[in-house]
Amino acid sequence: MERRGFLKAGTAGFASLMTGTGLLSWSPRSQAATISKTFYITAGTQTMPDGVSVYVKGFSDSSADLNVPATPIICQEGDTLSITVINRLAMTHNFVIGGLAAGDPPLASTGDIPAGGSGSLTYTIPTGKAGSYLFYDNKTSYNTFLGLHGGLAIMPAGKTDELYSGSPKFTKQLFWVFNDIDPALNRAVQQGTAIPTSFTPRYFTINGLTSLPPGATGHGDTTRDALYDPRTQLEGYAGVDRTLMRILNAGMCSHAVHTHANHMEWLTDRGTVRPQVWKKDTLYLRNQLGKIDAIFPFDAPPDAHPPVTTGHFPMHLHDEMSQTAGGGMYQFGAMTEIVFK
Amino acid sequence: MGMNSGGGGGGMGDACYVYPGTPATPGRVTPDVVFRRGIYMNGSMTFDDGNSVPIWGFTDLAAGGGGGMTGGGSFPSPAMRVTEGQIVHTELTVNMMWMHTVHHHGIEPSQANDGVGHLSWDVTGGTYTYQWRPAHAGTYFYHCHTNTPLHAEMGMYGGLIVDPAPNPNDPPGTKRAFANGPIYDVEAIWAADEIDPAWHNLQWSAGTCGGDVGLNNLNPQYFIITGVDGANSALTHPGVAVNMTLGQRLLARYICAGFHPQKIDFGGLTVSVVASDGRPLPVPWETQAIEAHSAERYDCIIQPTSRGTWTVTVQFRHWRTGAVMGTARTRINVT
Repeated sequence: MERRGFLKAGTAGFASLMTGTGLLSWSPRSQAATISKTFYITAGTQTMPDGVSVYVKGFSDSSADLNVPATPIICQEGDTLSITVINRLAMTHNFVIGGLAAGDPPLASTGDIPAGGSGSLTYTIPTGKAGSYLFYDNKTSYNTFLGLHGGLAIMPAGKTDELYSGSPKFTKQLFWVFNDIDPALNRAVQQGTAIPTSFTPRYFTINGLTSLPPGATGHGDTTRDALYDPRTQLEGYAGVDRTLMRILNAGMCSHAVHTHANHMEWLTDRGTVRPQVWKKDTLYLRNQLGKIDAIFPFDAPPDAHPPVTTGHFPMHLHDEMSQTAGGGMYQFGAMTEIVFK
Repeated sequence: MGMNSGGGGGGMGDACYVYPGTPATPGRVTPDVVFRRGIYMNGSMTFDDGNSVPIWGFTDLAAGGGGGMTGGGSFPSPAMRVTEGQIVHTELTVNMMWMHTVHHHGIEPSQANDGVGHLSWDVTGGTYTYQWRPAHAGTYFYHCHTNTPLHAEMGMYGGLIVDPAPNPNDPPGTKRAFANGPIYDVEAIWAADEIDPAWHNLQWSAGTCGGDVGLNNLNPQYFIITGVDGANSALTHPGVAVNMTLGQRLLARYICAGFHPQKIDFGGLTVSVVASDGRPLPVPWETQAIEAHSAERYDCIIQPTSRGTWTVTVQFRHWRTGAVMGTARTRINVT
């Protein structure tokens, strides 16, 4: 069992799983900058909606934190990323920024980071790399599933409102990082026993949390409930708050991302810009590090009569197994809320 | 956990995180179209191998369809067909034994009429009328959004087609996929779904109070198209297989109605995908196969240039491994 840096992230300590920063905020610069960030690889437990405690690992903001997913990084083309990763655990890990498009080599990597040691990478972002990225640990085939992942947003230089130069525009942006948890895998890693040869996920998270429906303990708690987590919830005014979702799949399953109230504008699939923008209510999010960029336009719901501009609606995965916890508990899965204010 | 009564979908039983209600419809007006839906919890589907599973669904009360304990009903549930711009009422009547909703998937009404239990109410012991007015022609479907993994898997869904308003410049009877969209002569609705019999003996609120009832793990054994076994029956079933004459144009409305991803292959035919999820594509997409995930819809114009038979195959792929778990097949026959 790994004991170094072991953290309890149950109820009271749960906030340590959070970044608490809400939406991605971004102010462009005319000059490139060096973006320095230190992550600490930490481990601990996270309590699932059915009370089961699951061992997780994260790229955390300090040695006392457990951040799943990691605090996102946002930067712009031309910037230099300078990332240091300190491994507080007793196993070798690594830190890899995946490539932009499927099949691309990783953008950058630290290489192996020995137990108790540190690694670093420095990478100057060339023009043409604007987009959404997942960073993760691929030292094993399953480390990403344990929680060692996070999102990197590279903005086009000087832009505040485009995914890539000339893309449809948005006013807000956020990450939706999905993960699927098979506690048998996490337990095997924690206990140092044989890794299962097949996985059956039992918990499904968005930005590290599950939804907690009305009546559930923690419902509405912005630090616990994915319906209300400010990093996750889509909220805005009709006709105003076009929001870019940078949708990343760190988990083992593919998913169908479904928004109520509006169709999404589908911009990219696995890092490649789509030939045309399709309007979709459901998007196919691949596994094996799949990703999608889409804009939720915050148009008034088109089929309401009488017309409305306010209301609460779900974003949920339509592969409905992902809407459960522990084999039941519908509405305790990977779901958030869309709030028309 | 308390008592669970068995059979016929389970009757009362324990239910948690459900939100019973049958309020008046906000802003209710006189509709252009009304659908009166009840529910059945005692249907069944028999597969080509002779095995059968319990099925639940919606009934058409206006057509005399029973509800609740009697009768069963069609699977998929009776389709809804409306015209762009009509004010529609979907009346859902559920007795106090169960809770259900109607969510018109892809239709984007007000919160009260969206049919999502935890954001409005689960209908029980009365009737709720969903009021909506479709703005976009295309292919949709409706399904129950209460304990959704179970209720949708049990069969509580049906097709929902929004036709464009007739174009006054078109000859009477002209059928278009959407306003100014392609004209078609023949139509097919292919809702491809997978069945795991292990899920089909649970009561309606199974798992909602906790406990492992297996709703994270769908291991389908049967693969169907629009309620017909795709092993063999769907190859010739008149509601699924297409018979058309050379020169006719087919609109195939493909609905990924299961929970695992799918790939539909048109047997060598090149199709023109003209719309998806109820929205026209900016440019039609020419393809011989489509990969889709749960609840996506693709509207495909197919116009074979010769007589013959083409086998359309839907592969059902495991959401984690990608392995093909099974296939369902139908045919396009051109004479």
